[in-house]
Amino acid sequence: MNIEEYISSGILELYALGELSGAEKAEVERLCETHNEIKQELELIESTMGALANHLAITPPTHLQDKIKGQLALKNHETKVLKMPVEKQSFNFAIAASVSIAVLASVLAFYFYSQWQSAEDQLAVMITQNQEVADNYQFVNQRLRNLETDVEILGNPNFARVAMNGTENSPESLATVYWNSSTRDVYLKIQNLQALSQDQQYQLWAIVDGVPVDMGVFDSGSDLLKMKSVASAAAFAVTIEPLGGSKDPSLETMQVVGTTEV
Amino acid sequence: MQIPESELVRLLVSKDEKGFENLYTNYSAALYGVVSRVVVDQDIADEVLQDAFLKIYDKIHSYDVAKGKLFTWMLNLTRNLAIDKLRSKEMSQRRKSDQVGNAVYKLDRESTPSTEDGIGVRELLDQLDENQKQVMDLVYFGGFTQAEAAEELNLPLGTVKTRVRSALIYFRKTLDVR
Repeated sequence: MNIEEYISSGILELYALGELSGAEKAEVERLCETHNEIKQELELIESTMGALANHLAITPPTHLQDKIKGQLALKNHETKVLKMPVEKQSFNFAIAASVSIAVLASVLAFYFYSQWQSAEDQLAVMITQNQEVADNYQFVNQRLRNLETDVEILGNPNFARVAMNGTENSPESLATVYWNSSTRDVYLKIQNLQALSQDQQYQLWAIVDGVPVDMGVFDSGSDLLKMKSVASAAAFAVTIEPLGGSKDPSLETMQVVGTTEV
Repeated sequence: MQIPESELVRLLVSKDEKGFENLYTNYSAALYGVVSRVVVDQDIADEVLQDAFLKIYDKIHSYDVAKGKLFTWMLNLTRNLAIDKLRSKEMSQRRKSDQVGNAVYKLDRESTPSTEDGIGVRELLDQLDENQKQVMDLVYFGGFTQAEAAEELNLPLGTVKTRVRSALIYFRKTLDVR
């Protein structure tokens, strides 16, 4: 692999920002072990992020320090309360015990309340993320289903493959018809056709008993296109027609043609 | 006084008070700078900074020195808390009025004047071009994933990555990081 390219892709910056997915993250960590340049670059990036954070620093309000410290110390305080010595007078002990219990209960109430709050927040985030994933999944699934149909047609032996080669008009052009003469289904796959202006469309024709029959219009694209059905055809051809197609083909614009006879 | 990160980690794990003092003195302003730029509202920023300290203590056991610096780990942990807050329900209203179209970048907010060098935030950002600033704002302070930023800015994913990189290279040079 090219280390320079890997570094300049920006992937290490995203690693340092904690933005990478599991697989990419593991790759960075693995490469750091084997490539010193990558490790050094990552260290520089981290130092830069540190320097930037220091540079953009804002001093928090002064009361926050004690407040935060109090919250951290609070946890130690709880355990101290529980370990209170027992050798006091029973009355004092009762007061101390009820105070401790009250304090402990408040602490726990506050603790659970904040836990609940953050759980609520996290849930909202999760729901959004879940929706996102579901949408992506839908999209990918739809795409996969289309591709599965395509593969099925391409691999089906009942479909005859008719290669249409470029004519003198456009020798580079290439398209293929997949034709099932028993079900009469016709599909078209474009390998290479030139781009058209907005008021033009391609039109597929089947030559049946020497007469061209309209098989439908289409625009350029990479997907397998379903065209009109035909039971028998001697050849297929594609012409350029005005938007919406023509009744009769403009033969002088023919782009590709291919015969069905072997 | 700044102590080595490894020593600080040890103090944090053992819940030593010196650890907290050191952590707060050396890192609270940097963390608060990030939080304030993400959530903007001061009361919420205060709350997030508290949560960040609690979480640092809570998670310090899971910090792995082999995977990066403590400072980076703390920055990301804090930034993620701030971003979660930003995305949470109570903030969603606020966020609508704080979208990308807003002329004021989060990055641009003034920081506490640094005593170490004379470069102010404005000077620092002057040379950064709008494109880089936009990407940094979304990815660093806006909580956008790289893919979301690409979509928001209508850019290929690779361009977002390289812009983050070029922005950080600019900071590296300007802040003289070696």
